[in-house]
Amino acid sequence: MVGPRGVRKAAVVALFLLPSAVPLLLFTIAPMFGAAWISLHDWNLQSPMRWTGLDNYTRLLGDAATRDALLHTLYFLGLYLPLVYVLGLALAVGLNRRFPGRSLVRSMYFLPVVTSWVVVALTWKWLLNPANGLVNHALEAVGIPGPGWWASAGWAIPSAVVASVWKDAGFVMVILLAGLQSIPEEYLEAARLDGASAWQTFWRVTFPLLTPSSYFVVVISLISGFQVFDQIYVMTGGGPAGASRPLVQQIYDLTFRYGDAGGASALSLLLFALILVVTVVQQRLLRRWVTYV
Amino acid sequence: MSARPWLRLHRAAALIAVAALALAGCSKGSATKDTSEGGVTTVRYLTFSAAPDHLDDLNGIVAAFEKANPDVKISVQTAPYKDYFTQLQTSIAGGTAPDAFELDYQNFVTYAQAGSLADLAGPAANDKTWQPSVLSPAALDAFKHGGKQYGLPESFSTVVLIYNKALFDAAGVAYPTADWKWSDETAAAQKLTDKAKGVYGDYQPVSFYEFYKAVNQAGGTFLSADGKSATFNSPQGVAAAKWLIGKPGATMPTLTEIGNTPDFDTNLFKAGKLAMWHNGNWQFDTLKSVPFGWDVVVEPGDAQKASAVFQNGVAVSAKSSHQDAAFRWLNFLTTSEQTVTARINSSWELPPLADASKLSGYLDKTPPSNRKAVMDALGKQSLLPVIAKEQQMQDIVNDALTKAAGGADLQKTLDDAAKQVTALL
Amino acid sequence: MSRRLLAAVLAVGALLMIFPFVWTFVTSITAGGDVLTTPRLIPEQAGLDGYRKLFEVLPFWRITVNSLVLAVVSTALLLITSSTAAYAFARLDFPGKNVVFVAYLATLMIPMQVLVVPLFIEVRAFDLVDTYASLIVPTIASAFGVFLLRQSVAVLPRELDEAAFVDGAGHIRIFLRITLPLIRPALVTYGLFAFMSSWNAFLWPLVVIRSREFMTLPLGLASLSGEYTVQWNAIMAGSVVSIVPILALYAVAQQHIVQSVAQAGLK
Repeated sequence: MVGPRGVRKAAVVALFLLPSAVPLLLFTIAPMFGAAWISLHDWNLQSPMRWTGLDNYTRLLGDAATRDALLHTLYFLGLYLPLVYVLGLALAVGLNRRFPGRSLVRSMYFLPVVTSWVVVALTWKWLLNPANGLVNHALEAVGIPGPGWWASAGWAIPSAVVASVWKDAGFVMVILLAGLQSIPEEYLEAARLDGASAWQTFWRVTFPLLTPSSYFVVVISLISGFQVFDQIYVMTGGGPAGASRPLVQQIYDLTFRYGDAGGASALSLLLFALILVVTVVQQRLLRRWVTYV
Repeated sequence: MSARPWLRLHRAAALIAVAALALAGCSKGSATKDTSEGGVTTVRYLTFSAAPDHLDDLNGIVAAFEKANPDVKISVQTAPYKDYFTQLQTSIAGGTAPDAFELDYQNFVTYAQAGSLADLAGPAANDKTWQPSVLSPAALDAFKHGGKQYGLPESFSTVVLIYNKALFDAAGVAYPTADWKWSDETAAAQKLTDKAKGVYGDYQPVSFYEFYKAVNQAGGTFLSADGKSATFNSPQGVAAAKWLIGKPGATMPTLTEIGNTPDFDTNLFKAGKLAMWHNGNWQFDTLKSVPFGWDVVVEPGDAQKASAVFQNGVAVSAKSSHQDAAFRWLNFLTTSEQTVTARINSSWELPPLADASKLSGYLDKTPPSNRKAVMDALGKQSLLPVIAKEQQMQDIVNDALTKAAGGADLQKTLDDAAKQVTALL
Repeated sequence: MSRRLLAAVLAVGALLMIFPFVWTFVTSITAGGDVLTTPRLIPEQAGLDGYRKLFEVLPFWRITVNSLVLAVVSTALLLITSSTAAYAFARLDFPGKNVVFVAYLATLMIPMQVLVVPLFIEVRAFDLVDTYASLIVPTIASAFGVFLLRQSVAVLPRELDEAAFVDGAGHIRIFLRITLPLIRPALVTYGLFAFMSSWNAFLWPLVVIRSREFMTLPLGLASLSGEYTVQWNAIMAGSVVSIVPILALYAVAQQHIVQSVAQAGLK
């Protein structure tokens, strides 16, 4: 039996949760079920849908294009995630100190986050041009032969990673800065009074107290990294010859260019399952690591 | 601590949200307000070719049409070409397709085959002003599918060889002529290229759109006559791919240099550092004021002449409840005097008229003085291979060409690509 | 590392960061409409053609106001729905809380590219195609915001709530009077991101908007590309115009984030 107390409690939970739960249910989860329904059909968005059961799934699981796209996505993620986190953390810690012109410098580091991808891609393709780019000139000067960057199959994804890390580090920085601000000054003071060095203070106080923000950054970057598309698209167009095509590009092309919305939906659900499993496992692993005050 | 100002802020946020939701609820946009009021039918027309530069021209045509047809109103919707088909397909999927819309020839078959286009025979019979003889029969045929007219040809552009006279003069090379073959172009390009000065003899992208016509130029075919298999891996196809791949790095900048910068070729030509440029008549306006002489000629062939032609058409949605009114608008849009005049005066793409003399206004303009080449190219058209899975085919061919340009074995790469394309047919 | 050295390193890095923005700006005032083959800091011929084009071709003020109103409304909605849910996940107990939270996160795991079509069909069933409402609909709630704010609520010391409880305050009062003011840095940070994502949204507005009077900035900028040619200076001018408000917002937001340090010390 639920007493009046229970009803009251449930009402409070509903009051706090429903404003977000209802729109998410209606405008994200319902379309997700829509996509699941489409994934069981052969559909080109125009002709009537034709029921095909699980055909789309079996076809895609054995497909070389899917496997390549998955590998490209994982390769991107494996490079991107650690780099963007470490750089963002370094920026946040560095820019949390007081120095003249700090606000201005912070804004400058935030600029790439708001600069349009079109321009970012132009800039980095120019810097990373294998023939006459500044980066390869610099490498040559110290005797290292520069790689083919975005023009070569092997280096196309690392090129996109470089540009993405450069662009997104400011985003990570802003979140971690907000986290740093919420660390009570007394804790740092106490550590200093105990004679801890800056390095020790960072590892023993700052970093553990920053774990809730870090946890957020890692989970969100992982979820969005699995869905990488725009960055690679503007840097390489998925090329050369498909060598850097990620899963979401495959999904977009199947839907809107190849007349295979069913296959695209099936592929998204497979991607969904993969991200969900990784996120849940990661939650289990990281939860112990997160420190709350 | 004072929480009050903060509380006020939060309340303001709540107010904004509620007010906005109430306001936004039901105000439909002008382009989709419901149709057929007071005996006036509204036809929604979606276009990619009007924005950004020719919206005023289109509005002029719309005004002329509405004046002649007071019972029909045209509501113009625009989408950029790059994203046009994403929007159009989503509309069709949601059952809200515009009554009439533009389609380029390469996408026409996909839409016709999917059943999204209305057979125009019925609406045409109901339109007393319809005179198919005004339009070029070949162009009308291009927008037939399975023997039925599913679209009307609206405009065309052709690809020609644009050349910088000053560079030819300086190098003492004779200007290109309509009789040129590939070997003439190569020989001239080599003489004109001066890498020390950053001057290049030639520019032709390594891509599907150049490749299919080069296969024709070499005397081969892209698809078999029955359309059931890909034949671009023939010796002629290999020759065509070699012709394209041989240029970058030799008489043309490398693909890496080009891949860096948008409009690389346009800038190179305008800077007076490119002697020969395979590009379309849509560039004429851009080149109007360059400080050197230039002209155009039909592209060189090899075994035969074959030029690329891009065509846009217009179609009526199979689901539209105003098909007759939509057809009347498309009839006006493709055949009326107002349209022809507007297109010629504003250097928009040209209407495919049966009587080419009506385009004299366009041909008399200079530069280039040899504008006639645009029409000659149309006469030597290399028909674009169009299949239901067009985009996929183009991606496969583009990837194969990129691989071959990167040093992969040419015959094997083309064989693989042909196998993949045949599987799509 | 000495403070001065650190400042120097950070400043040099910052110069690298602003370079593409400067390039954008320089291209936007380059006459002729070509993108610069090699980035230059001073254009050979400067002009405001790009900006003029924005006003000639687009109903530019209308578009900017649309984007602004939408971004403000969607940010307001997101701040409300995310902060309440964040409080629920961090402070309330209810059965299946972890499962519900994972379900929230799950809404981030399907790419928008594939949700567009079913969502469009749904919005069409509600007869909302080509309305302001259709633009707002997918931005009322976001698991991203819930998650970000939950982390910041979770780190607040529980003693504050408990003291208020003893004084007879309920959850609503605690949420409004204690939690919200204390998570201000996170709210401001999230507000900034919420604003940005609405400001930059492209795919959904593209498919759901038909009328020019409802066009948003990204749609307007995309419409500057023709079938064969692109007006680069106009596109770059549009980029400059669309970046500046966000930067201004960031500058303001920063002040709020910094101020809150003093507040945190007060407790």
